[in-house]
Amino acid sequence: MNSLTRLLRRLAGPSRALPVTFLLVMGVLFWPTRALRSDNFVIYMPAARAIIPLETIDQVKYLPVISVLNGLGKVDALQEKRDTLKIWFGEAVIELRLDDKQVQVNKTRLTLAQPVRRPTGQWLVPVSFLTAALPHITHETVEYQVGTNRIFIGDVKPTSFTVRLDQLATGARVTVQFTDKVTIHTAASNGKWYLYLGPRPIEPLEQTFRFQDPYVSEMQFDDQDGLPKLILTPTVSGLNFYPTLAEGGKVLLADVLKPSPVAPPQPAAAGEPVTAGAPPVPGAEAVSALPAGPPLPAVVLDAAHGGSDSGARGRDGVLEKDVVAQLVARVRLALLAAGKYRVVLTRVGDVNLAFEQRESAANLHYPRAFLSFHAGDLGTTTPRVVVSSYQASRPPGPGDNPEPTPFLIPWTRVYRTHLNQSRQLAQALQQKLAEIPGMAVDQPGGAPARALRSVDAPAVAIEIGSLTPDADSGVLTDADFQQQIASAIAAGLQAWQGGAPGP
Amino acid sequence: MTSRAKVLMLILLMVLAGSALYLHVLARRITFQPSVQHGEEVARTRLNEAALQSSTGPQQLATLYFPSYEQGLLREEKRQIAWAETDTDRIRQVLLALMEGSHQGYSRALPPSTAIRGVFLAPDGTVYLDLSTQTLADLRPGILSECLVVYSVVNSLAANIPAVKKVKILVEGQEVDTLDGHADLSDVFVPDPARILPAS
Repeated sequence: MNSLTRLLRRLAGPSRALPVTFLLVMGVLFWPTRALRSDNFVIYMPAARAIIPLETIDQVKYLPVISVLNGLGKVDALQEKRDTLKIWFGEAVIELRLDDKQVQVNKTRLTLAQPVRRPTGQWLVPVSFLTAALPHITHETVEYQVGTNRIFIGDVKPTSFTVRLDQLATGARVTVQFTDKVTIHTAASNGKWYLYLGPRPIEPLEQTFRFQDPYVSEMQFDDQDGLPKLILTPTVSGLNFYPTLAEGGKVLLADVLKPSPVAPPQPAAAGEPVTAGAPPVPGAEAVSALPAGPPLPAVVLDAAHGGSDSGARGRDGVLEKDVVAQLVARVRLALLAAGKYRVVLTRVGDVNLAFEQRESAANLHYPRAFLSFHAGDLGTTTPRVVVSSYQASRPPGPGDNPEPTPFLIPWTRVYRTHLNQSRQLAQALQQKLAEIPGMAVDQPGGAPARALRSVDAPAVAIEIGSLTPDADSGVLTDADFQQQIASAIAAGLQAWQGGAPGP
Repeated sequence: MTSRAKVLMLILLMVLAGSALYLHVLARRITFQPSVQHGEEVARTRLNEAALQSSTGPQQLATLYFPSYEQGLLREEKRQIAWAETDTDRIRQVLLALMEGSHQGYSRALPPSTAIRGVFLAPDGTVYLDLSTQTLADLRPGILSECLVVYSVVNSLAANIPAVKKVKILVEGQEVDTLDGHADLSDVFVPDPARILPAS
């Protein structure tokens, strides 16, 4: 105690020791216990998957219960009182009580590992809710490995894999043995190689494999965005990467080699060879590794809002930022499945990005198309979609050159170089989206949408709705509905590319 | 402990108890006074109301445009307004009429909570319209929605006040990137007749 007093006096002087102590005590009392949101939780179902933003409170993982249930199906009704929340979900009635571990599902009382929380007005349940309550709610089996951020519900058989590292004469080979067939699509970003493993759910035995190797330092499994992938980190920069599938897709041979003037060795008896088109440069942004031939065109998907910016809010608590993130994940899968595009996301995870960050992320890739996804108030008609290209708030004046020269185009006017293609793209997407049964689709129009202004590519905004407290927006989170939109967008892009030359 | 120390201790305890009671009473009297900024907004809103009261001219037919979300366009509505003398006051009258809402059941363009911090009509026909952040918080969210709101204002102003050629929207006196995350406010807006649903 004496030493503490001496320290305080040294810090603030004898006369101010008391106020400093007071401030320290207040600081300890009111120190925020809630950590920031860090990552996502993925719920795998037989025909769909839901990506739920994860909250960590006092080192315990929590999930927004409404988002979880909307990911599984549709919340029918909610009744919120001061300290209780009652949810009608299909045939189940779920009752939660604030700061209580007890949860009631119909007439069954269940005990969670941690109490229900509501730190910012959003009802959060611990991850143990999934294993304790979901079997009673969905009447499906639930598989969950403690500590992971994924769960499998119903008849889902996740693939697993083992990993081995072998030394080669000029590099190293990572052999990944899967329990089932996978497909691979490769990309590179921030000095790492990404191996997307197709749409099947994967449950790794270990999340991270670390190597004491001069070529490969780490391999990590990640599916935070709903896309299972392996991320390889090279020990040094300047290495080449040659991934190949063998044994019908059950074995992945990932060779990391020193650059050599001679052609890279082609693995014998490779079932489905996939090689790097260009050796990625660690540190460079997203150099894609592609099938042999010219690189695939990039399509940039922009999920609007994120982080503290939730966007529009629906009647049942659905947030725009979550709806568009789910939708973008499905569109990404649909585009990757087409095998004709490389997909770039402006927003990965629940972060709030400035328009400039989104634009620069897109423009770096010279994309073939830029699609910005929104969910907003479209009145009482739902489901409905509006596809818009950029339209300036004023027509070009006499001093403005309507066809800007290729040099020194201000970023605020770069949209003009792609106006016609943007309109054609909006038209093509609108035609395919109109084929979705029950979907109201407006004629594509122009809007001064800021998200599209400084993108150096044909760009459109796709706004689904109506996400408003005045309308039933449950369909917007429906997996089948989102899948139909994703398929329509993939088809629309294909139709547009067939009719319009690329840049 | 001496008796004198005991008396001092007792007095000290009584002082502490009295202080705690006094603090408790004080805490219950704490109220939050509206900020100066809020007071300014109220004053400006009252100025807007004054614009209506100063309207002494004859009643004339005004054309207002309200959002129709079903069509994604603006619907025309005619209304009698006793116009004020100056264009700036007329601008305020149009904005107040939009805040009042449609008499024919169309959607609202500006929320009732709209606080117009200032209106200025430049000689080149540019209206500088300064909105408060509270206005943005109460807007219906989305690209379509913001687009309808902006053109409801711009087209209504241009239709009724010939001197208005374009509108520049400011928020809290500053140029901003977007209205509420969607509509690009970096440039002025000129009236766009294509946003109006043709009369059937």
